[in-house]
Amino acid sequence: MNEDISRLMDGELDDAALERVFKATRRPPQAEISPDALATWVCYHAIGDSLRGTRAVIPGFAARFARALASEPTVLAPAPRRRPGIVQPGTWAWGIAATLAAVTVVGWTALSMLDTPPSTVAKVREAVSVRAAQVKPPASVPADYLLAHHEYSPATAIQSVGTYLRAVVTQESEPRP
Amino acid sequence: MIGWSWPPCSTRRLSVGAVIVATLAAGPVALAQDAAAWLARAAQAARTLNYTGTLVYHHSGNVETSRLIHLAEGGQEYEKLTSLDGPAREVVRSKDEVRCYFPDAKIVRVDPRTFRNAFPALTLEQQQTLSRHYEFKRIKGERVAGLAAEVVRFEPKDGMRYGHMFWSDAATGLLLKARLLTEKGDVVEQFAFTDINLNAKIDREMVKPSWTAAPPDWQIKHVAATEVVRHQTGWSASKLPPGFMKIMEGYRTLRDKRYPVAHLVFSDGLVAVSVFIEPLFATPVETGPSQQGGLNVYSMKTDEYLVTVLGEAPPATVRQIAQSVGKR
Repeated sequence: MNEDISRLMDGELDDAALERVFKATRRPPQAEISPDALATWVCYHAIGDSLRGTRAVIPGFAARFARALASEPTVLAPAPRRRPGIVQPGTWAWGIAATLAAVTVVGWTALSMLDTPPSTVAKVREAVSVRAAQVKPPASVPADYLLAHHEYSPATAIQSVGTYLRAVVTQESEPRP
Repeated sequence: MIGWSWPPCSTRRLSVGAVIVATLAAGPVALAQDAAAWLARAAQAARTLNYTGTLVYHHSGNVETSRLIHLAEGGQEYEKLTSLDGPAREVVRSKDEVRCYFPDAKIVRVDPRTFRNAFPALTLEQQQTLSRHYEFKRIKGERVAGLAAEVVRFEPKDGMRYGHMFWSDAATGLLLKARLLTEKGDVVEQFAFTDINLNAKIDREMVKPSWTAAPPDWQIKHVAATEVVRHQTGWSASKLPPGFMKIMEGYRTLRDKRYPVAHLVFSDGLVAVSVFIEPLFATPVETGPSQQGGLNVYSMKTDEYLVTVLGEAPPATVRQIAQSVGKR
C-alpha cells in the first residue's frame, strides 16, 4: 500500500490502479479514508517537502492548532469526489488532501513529524528513493573540471560530500573509451 | 574529500586560531570572528569525529541518498560514500587518493588528491571579506537527524552570490545539513543527514571499497598529473564580484586534454569560482550555461581559447566572470 501511495504521489497510477488504491484505503469501503493511509500520504509529503526545503513546520503550531481545533465546531467533510475524465497527474490527488478532513490530518501528522520515529523516516526514505530512481540527473558539467575546482572551494570543503556527489552523478554514465 | 571536513593543514590552521584569539576582543570584527569560529568548529568536528550516517542530497528536483562512513585514525582520515539509490556508485577516500567506483561500467577512477588545498586558512582579510559581503546570523536551533542543531545563515549582501544555511550538531559542531539559497530564498540544493551515529565503532574494514576492482574485469583510470603547477598564466578576469580574490593560479593536466589547462581560482571566503582556459581545437565543444545542483558552469569560445568558469555562484555571476576573461 505504501508503495502505491508513493506512486500515487508521483501521478503514476492508471485509473484501475487508482480505484484499487481508493478502495483499499477506505475502511470499510465507501467510508472515510483510513487514518493509516492518510498518515502515510502526509508523512511522504512532509518529508519530501522538508527535503526540498519547500515547507517549514512552524514552531509552536501544534499547540496553537490544538487550541483552535478545540474551539471549532465539528465539520463533516464531504467525501472526495472524482471528476470525470483524465486529470493532470497529481492534481486530483491533491484535491483529496484539500478536503477539510484531510487538511486536519495533514496538519496533525505534519506536526508529529517533528518527532519522527526512525521507522517513519525509513518509510519516507523508501518513498524518496523510488522518486530518485525515476529521475535522470542532468549530465553536462565536465567532471574533471569539477573535481579540480572542488579541491580549492571553501564551501565544498565543509560540505564536500556534495561536490563528490555532483561529480559522481555527472559521470555516472561514463562511457568506456 | 568525501567528508564534511576541511582538509588537514595543521600549521596554517593554528595561525587562524591565533588570529581568532588575538582579535576576539575587537568589536567591529566580532561577527566575522563568529562566522570564522563557527566554520572552524564545524571543520574540526568533521575531521576528528567518527561517524556513520545517511546523507540525502537534493538538487534540481532530484534526490540522491547515500551512506557515509568517516573514520579518523592516527591523524588520517578514511571515508566511504556509497549511493543507496540509482546506479551503484562509491567514493572511497584513503590516505592520498580518492577512488570513485562505477560498478555498472566496471570503471574505477583514481584521483591522487588529499584536499589539503581547500580552505587552507581564513586569513583576517578573508574574514573581513566574509563579513563585508555576507551577513552572518545565528538562528533558533532545530532538530536534524534526531540531534539538536545550531542553525546559522550567511546572507549575501548583493545578488551575485548564493545564500547559505548550515545546521550543525550543538554538542560537537559537526555539520548535519547545508542548504544553498537563491536571492529569492528558493533552495538550489541541500545536503542533509537523515540519521547519524556519532558514537559508532568504526574500523578500517568498514571504510574499505565494496568491490575488489582489478583488471581485466575492471578498468582502472589513473588520473595522472592533476597536481597543479603554480605559475603565472597571463590570464585574468576583469569583472569579478566584489570581494573575490585570487587564491590560486597555475596549470594542470586534465584527462583527454592535449595541453595543460590554465586554472585560476577566486574566492570570497565562503565559495570559490574556477576559471579554466585551454587552447581551442577543431573538436566540437559545448558552450553556454549548465548547472549541477549549486554549481553553475559557463563555457564560451574566444578566438583561440575555450574559457570555462564554474563555481557555487548564481548563473549570471559565472557568466559575467567568463565574459570578462582576457589576457592581462
